[in-house]
Amino acid sequence: MSYGPLLFLGILFTLASSWVGLVLIPQRQLGALEQFTDTNTAAIYPQARAGQAQQGAEQYRALGCVYCHTQQIRPEGYGADITRGWGRRRTVSRDYIHDKTVMLGTMRTGPDLTNIGERQSDSSWHFKHLYNPQITSAGSVMPSYPFLFETRPIGPFGSSTNALALQGVFAPPVGFEVGPTLRAKQLVEYLRSLKSSGDLPEAPVKKEEPK
Amino acid sequence: MNSTTTSKALKALLPGDLSNEPGRRAQLAEIDASCRLPVLFFFLSGLLWLLVGTLFALLASIKLHTPGFLDGQEWLTFGTVRTVHLNTVVYGFASQTAIAVAIWLMCRLCRVPLVASGVITVANLFYNIGLTIGIIGIFAGDSTGIEWLEIPKYATPIIFVSFALIAVWMIIIFRLRTERHLYVSQWYLLAAVLWFPWIYGTAQVMLLVEPVRGVVQAAINWWFAHNVLGLWFTPIGLAAIYYFIPKVIGRPIHSYYLSVLGFWSLALFYNWNGMHHLVGGPMPAWMITVSIVASVMMLIPVLAVAINHHFTLVGHFGKLKHSPTLRFIVFGAVSYTLTSLQGVLSALRSFSEVSHFTHHTVAHAHLGMYAFFGMVMFGSMYYILPRITQREWPSNRLISVHFWGSALGIILYVVPLSLAGLQQGRLMNNAAVKFLDVVQFTLPWLQLRTLAGCLLALAHLAFVVHVGWLLVRMLEPYRKPVLNILSGGEIPATTEK
Amino acid sequence: MPVISLILLGSVLLLPAAALLSLRWATRSGQFTLINRAALLPFDDEEPIGQATDQILGDNRR
Repeated sequence: MSYGPLLFLGILFTLASSWVGLVLIPQRQLGALEQFTDTNTAAIYPQARAGQAQQGAEQYRALGCVYCHTQQIRPEGYGADITRGWGRRRTVSRDYIHDKTVMLGTMRTGPDLTNIGERQSDSSWHFKHLYNPQITSAGSVMPSYPFLFETRPIGPFGSSTNALALQGVFAPPVGFEVGPTLRAKQLVEYLRSLKSSGDLPEAPVKKEEPK
Repeated sequence: MNSTTTSKALKALLPGDLSNEPGRRAQLAEIDASCRLPVLFFFLSGLLWLLVGTLFALLASIKLHTPGFLDGQEWLTFGTVRTVHLNTVVYGFASQTAIAVAIWLMCRLCRVPLVASGVITVANLFYNIGLTIGIIGIFAGDSTGIEWLEIPKYATPIIFVSFALIAVWMIIIFRLRTERHLYVSQWYLLAAVLWFPWIYGTAQVMLLVEPVRGVVQAAINWWFAHNVLGLWFTPIGLAAIYYFIPKVIGRPIHSYYLSVLGFWSLALFYNWNGMHHLVGGPMPAWMITVSIVASVMMLIPVLAVAINHHFTLVGHFGKLKHSPTLRFIVFGAVSYTLTSLQGVLSALRSFSEVSHFTHHTVAHAHLGMYAFFGMVMFGSMYYILPRITQREWPSNRLISVHFWGSALGIILYVVPLSLAGLQQGRLMNNAAVKFLDVVQFTLPWLQLRTLAGCLLALAHLAFVVHVGWLLVRMLEPYRKPVLNILSGGEIPATTEK
Repeated sequence: MPVISLILLGSVLLLPAAALLSLRWATRSGQFTLINRAALLPFDDEEPIGQATDQILGDNRR
């Protein structure tokens, strides 16, 4: 074969097919999904994130959390996502409409975080875990993030309310305390905001069997 | 088909004797010499990025089993180190050597010298400036968080413009061809340089410049990330294989029909594959199903290529002993078949249930990018570098260190990690096993991977030293190199002529 | 009839027609008779078929 233009057209048309099929059509089908309002309870889902949590999403992105943690729950009976308690239902397209960067992830070096806000709502746990994961989860391979915290002298009125309760080898020198910086607060607010369990017509939450 | 005015304008770019005599073809040495500077620049900057990428690969690998290693520094956390590794090896090493090989191959097959090679050299400069800014941006926390597209949006336009410039130049070379017939490698090369700016441009505009909402981002992300393998690296890798196997053994490709079938089935099916990275994810079922079907259809081009290459080689395996190019290229060709079959398997819902989210996928990615593409690029460099520099490789020992380090290293990387990944997936799918126990299970396998990584690093060092030595030889007085030996490793007298 | 069905029907008719036409063109203009000639393109008078290149790793070198 020696006909350049035919080759050229073939090259363009083949890619154009999937460009339409996997880029334009999904954009038409999913690009304008809206919140769902339950007509019985007037509950709106999903809700947009508050400011600090939204800023925390930027920290999550910049620190590369997505390379070890997914944010997607596979359907019941496909993998053990639901039996592990990572979520109450599979996640669907509508769950992600408020995410500036959608970080579904492809690797589970660490557990899924889709519902971490529901599974662990305690900020002080998150602060300790980020400061050094060995405090809360010994044997974890997660990096520590001490640069999100500051070690500061304890003031005349005693420890601050947000100082981390650290013991043993993790404790700061006497007279000092470890407190979260703004970035740590943002990140933890984001983690606590991660909840994808609202009732949706396309993904109903399974009701408990009446006993 | 070519309008006369544009072809006249293009012909003016050619050296005088070539543009005046329509029957005259450029000689091989003339073509090689015209490519010298730009190809050398792309190779050398590619190798520099390879060293950086290898260093960060080792750091990332160690950190995954020994989290305390260099811990607590923001720019050295796993999330950054891994991202720097991926972007330096993909955009620094693989893409730049791919461009060099593509330019050289295109010139040789079109039988024209590279015209206005300074443009390509400038494109190389801009490419590396853009990439350096991008990598610094990733260190500074500006990573976009989108896999395979982490380079921040203030750096990507520079890279895009360089790519576009190279694509335009490839088309110009193609239009200037003095050989009317087209070889299958030229199809792949032309397709790659047209496809890549399209997918890169789409991903940049729809994900970074004017981001779309919700999971459409994930669809475009994986449409791009799979196509960068399927429509950029794979065609250039295959173009090199289709050229070098016949060229080294001195025998035409077994079946040209099969190569035509392979090209068009790849063009039709590969670009629909991307959504198999989202099996079980929050996407409409039709998208994922379509990608699974297309992934299975990939059996056609893969088997066509595998059969074709095997039957071309039959009876000539002895030449592997004497040709470094053939060794690397054949290793790459076999890996292409294996990684594609593994990819088909991983796309199936039942297999993906286990392999998704595990180190199996990481091993698969390295089988494709390194054992196939990286090895093919190394093989091409062993052929091209002596020809454009007019110098011989100084040391057979260094070639052996490179080949065996790379080959054993990547086998030691891929095989154990693929199997361990499946076991990891099985444990993860059993809710009775604590998650931390799954993490603990992977540790010895990750340590083995670090060992494999050390072998690869050694191989890369040997290669870079060898290339440096070759370049030093350019300073020595010229001696006619022994590049073509009839067969069996006999050396004709170098003094004749 | 909705527009989408028209488009589908149209492409079902047009695409195979285009394929057939290009096939007719390809056979008539000799694209298939010359197809095996293209396999010879990597070779020329300088490096003809039968001449192996890159055989640099011999027993009698370093």
